[in-house]
Amino acid sequence: MKILIADDSRVMRQIVIRTLRQAGYDDHDIVEAEDGAEALAKVGSESPDLILSDWNMPNMTGIECLEALRAQGSSVPFGFVTSEGSAEMREKAANAGALFLIAKPFTEDTFKEHLDGVIA
Amino acid sequence: MSTTDTGQRRRGSDSRPVITDLMDEDTILAVAGDAWISLVGEDEVLVPIPGEMPGDVLSSWVDVVGPWTGSVVLTTGRATAEALSRALLRESAPEVLDDEDVEDAFGEIANVVGGSIKAALPGPSGLSLPQVGHSPLVRNPADVCRVEVLWRGEPLTISVQGALPPLPVTH
Repeated sequence: MKILIADDSRVMRQIVIRTLRQAGYDDHDIVEAEDGAEALAKVGSESPDLILSDWNMPNMTGIECLEALRAQGSSVPFGFVTSEGSAEMREKAANAGALFLIAKPFTEDTFKEHLDGVIA
Repeated sequence: MSTTDTGQRRRGSDSRPVITDLMDEDTILAVAGDAWISLVGEDEVLVPIPGEMPGDVLSSWVDVVGPWTGSVVLTTGRATAEALSRALLRESAPEVLDDEDVEDAFGEIANVVGGSIKAALPGPSGLSLPQVGHSPLVRNPADVCRVEVLWRGEPLTISVQGALPPLPVTH
């Protein structure tokens, strides 16, 4: 399956990719985006099966990207990987249609807990 | 509900919390320790011992804006910030790190530590994107919670510091 990783930090995208591998999800195509706007565009051009997105990004935030996707009728599975782990943000994410929110800092076990059943 | 203001009651604007009302050093140490294990490496520990900071330091921070407003600031020697960046990048670290790599990696550590600090504070609050450079000034020495640690023997401080000057003292 194809996984789109959106984060304005290059090093964090690498850490997310590394953690996916450590959690056993190592046989998937990875597409990267630097912000929500690029992620939104790449949903159109790359047709990912899952989006793992940061929350706070320049140009377009993760939640704005998710809202834009749902407004366009896209139901692509979307989860946050973000330093915004408060109850308030989790509620916002769920209300906007996110499948899960993985708070940074995370471990490979956190990834397994949220992604088993989501990633084939 | 009607309450007579006798002048002894604290006014609404007087009740702005300072960080030491909301958080202690142990919380900061716990949050930072988790961030280090996740980002820097499983065996990477922060030892809560102060050290002598070198002359050439670099800070990374995020701002929190809400019931408490301020910054979560990491400060360490430039060489240590580079070593941290290499630890985050691992096998993809280039032979020579450029400023952008250090800003990205050191800033991301502040983002993760700051996000966890924000989650432990009363909300709702906003979190800024990380910045790297000279630390923001301490505006109110009473509104600071700060820990000093050693990472791989090198000093690093984490300061959770208010952005607002002290309120005037009323009598």
